[in-house]
Amino acid sequence: MTMTERGLGRITGMLFTLLASTGIHPAHAAGASDGQYLTRAADCEVCHTRPGGAPFAGGRAFAIPGMGVIYSPNITADRQAGIGTWTDDQFVKAVRDGVSPGWKHLYPAMPYRDYAYMTPDEVKAIRAYLATLPTSSARPPANTLKFPFSIRAAMIFWNLVNGPTSSHPDDPGHTPSWNRGRYLVEGPGHCAECHSPRTITMGVSASNAYAGADVGGWRAYNITSSKTDGIGAWSADDLATYLSTGHADGHGSASGDMGDVVSHSLRYLTRQDIDAMVEYLRGIPARSSTDGAPLVVDQPTAAHDPADSHGAMLYAGACVGCHLPDGSGRQNPVASIAGARTTLGAANGQNLLQVLTHGSVLQTATGTASMPAFHGGYSDQDVADIANFVMHHFARSSTKVTAVDVAKAKAGSTPE
Amino acid sequence: MLTLQINGKSVEVDVDPDTPLLWVLRDVLGMTGTKYGCGIAECGVCTVHVDGSPVRSCSLPVGLIGSQKVITTIEGLQADPVAAAVRKAWLDIDVVQCGYCQPGQIMAAIALLKKIPNPTDEQIEADMSGNLCRCGTYMRIRAAIRNVAAAQGVNP
Repeated sequence: MTMTERGLGRITGMLFTLLASTGIHPAHAAGASDGQYLTRAADCEVCHTRPGGAPFAGGRAFAIPGMGVIYSPNITADRQAGIGTWTDDQFVKAVRDGVSPGWKHLYPAMPYRDYAYMTPDEVKAIRAYLATLPTSSARPPANTLKFPFSIRAAMIFWNLVNGPTSSHPDDPGHTPSWNRGRYLVEGPGHCAECHSPRTITMGVSASNAYAGADVGGWRAYNITSSKTDGIGAWSADDLATYLSTGHADGHGSASGDMGDVVSHSLRYLTRQDIDAMVEYLRGIPARSSTDGAPLVVDQPTAAHDPADSHGAMLYAGACVGCHLPDGSGRQNPVASIAGARTTLGAANGQNLLQVLTHGSVLQTATGTASMPAFHGGYSDQDVADIANFVMHHFARSSTKVTAVDVAKAKAGSTPE
Repeated sequence: MLTLQINGKSVEVDVDPDTPLLWVLRDVLGMTGTKYGCGIAECGVCTVHVDGSPVRSCSLPVGLIGSQKVITTIEGLQADPVAAAVRKAWLDIDVVQCGYCQPGQIMAAIALLKKIPNPTDEQIEADMSGNLCRCGTYMRIRAAIRNVAAAQGVNP
């Protein structure tokens, strides 16, 4: 740290003390002026970057069953392809109200109802940060939505049905930390967008919030405080470690979209903010779901079911290099699969098949931890055998998957 | 600057924490006994020990090891009795064909024998299965490991 940075840090610290003493909105106190921090907390980059593309240049496809495909737009400051000509107020209106310049109504794949938790000034800070990044002239493909979903004005009615966006004052009945956690989880973090089931109009279900949902072939698990279906049995420490590093021993590792969330967003949050999120998450009322992860896990045994022998052989050849015969992970904690709900056969083994057929990538403070996809040299039956061996051997799970499930996982759809 | 404990010495290296250990060993420290194979922890040729456990150095960021854990490479086992027994067993039945995978095979075998002095065939296969040999010397590797256990007087 240079002298200037240290000086700045001291001034910022003094400012926060000053702000705290004047009783400013606690949920917004920390990092309110830090556009990069908020951009990460809101996880803008993952959705606004196509795989392998320039950051924030858009083009990531969102396939919505029965409706079509939406592509995220370029939000770099490029004046033609991006948002370089927008005013700050136009940017705020797009992010908080879902209406971009020219009264173009955004589809709610953009979580503007969540982002409305952020103040206009916070959204402007994001804009200011985006403006400092390299521009890109990349233009995402046109959306291929079916009629009548192709009519953007229909979103006016969607917004009516799903309630207006609004800012959310702190709840004085809770601690400042809980309020900060609610702001991060419900607002920029937009956790409910994946983890809550959807209503008939594809809105986030309020009555069944955080009870888990299927997203692009993955199961976004129940994250309510249910001890059996949710995260109620996790310690606060485990949950904080999982959120900030993507792994907690005995709970496995984040993969798929959650891996992206940790890699590009959560791992940059302060420990204080992560703890606030944990406090809020652990207070979400328990709701049951069909995720079906067993609570108690037996230790793996040396002997295995003869029915698993082909899967056991393939596991020994393809998997032990990193996961070890006992599943404890050879060298990197991320490779420990003990206790992971994927391994336990939760949600019909859906996420295990996603990991096997699509691989997994996690950015950590010490580099990239990744697992390659296993389908090139392996038949669908081979992959199903590996999955069945893993679930049965490491968790005594009775969940079984078939070659047909593997084919579906490859196609990115949900097994029945 | 990171501090690593390698073969009984404290070593300071000026690398990014996400540099894989293998690059530090070979390129920074010039310790070329550990070989590069696949680079994705699938072949086992780059195996070294961290706190006695076999790890794939090609996929282990040095930042993850820390300054306390003990790293042992194939160069650091000159005086080790188990390593000496493994070397003798390997020479006795001429395990090696081309030899490229052998530093990893030997490190995996030493780690196994330190953990289980008299492993069953199943334990040998389980622990050695992550170490590939394109010449197919697997049978001789297994025989040599059995011979080490026998020579050390452990009852089968």
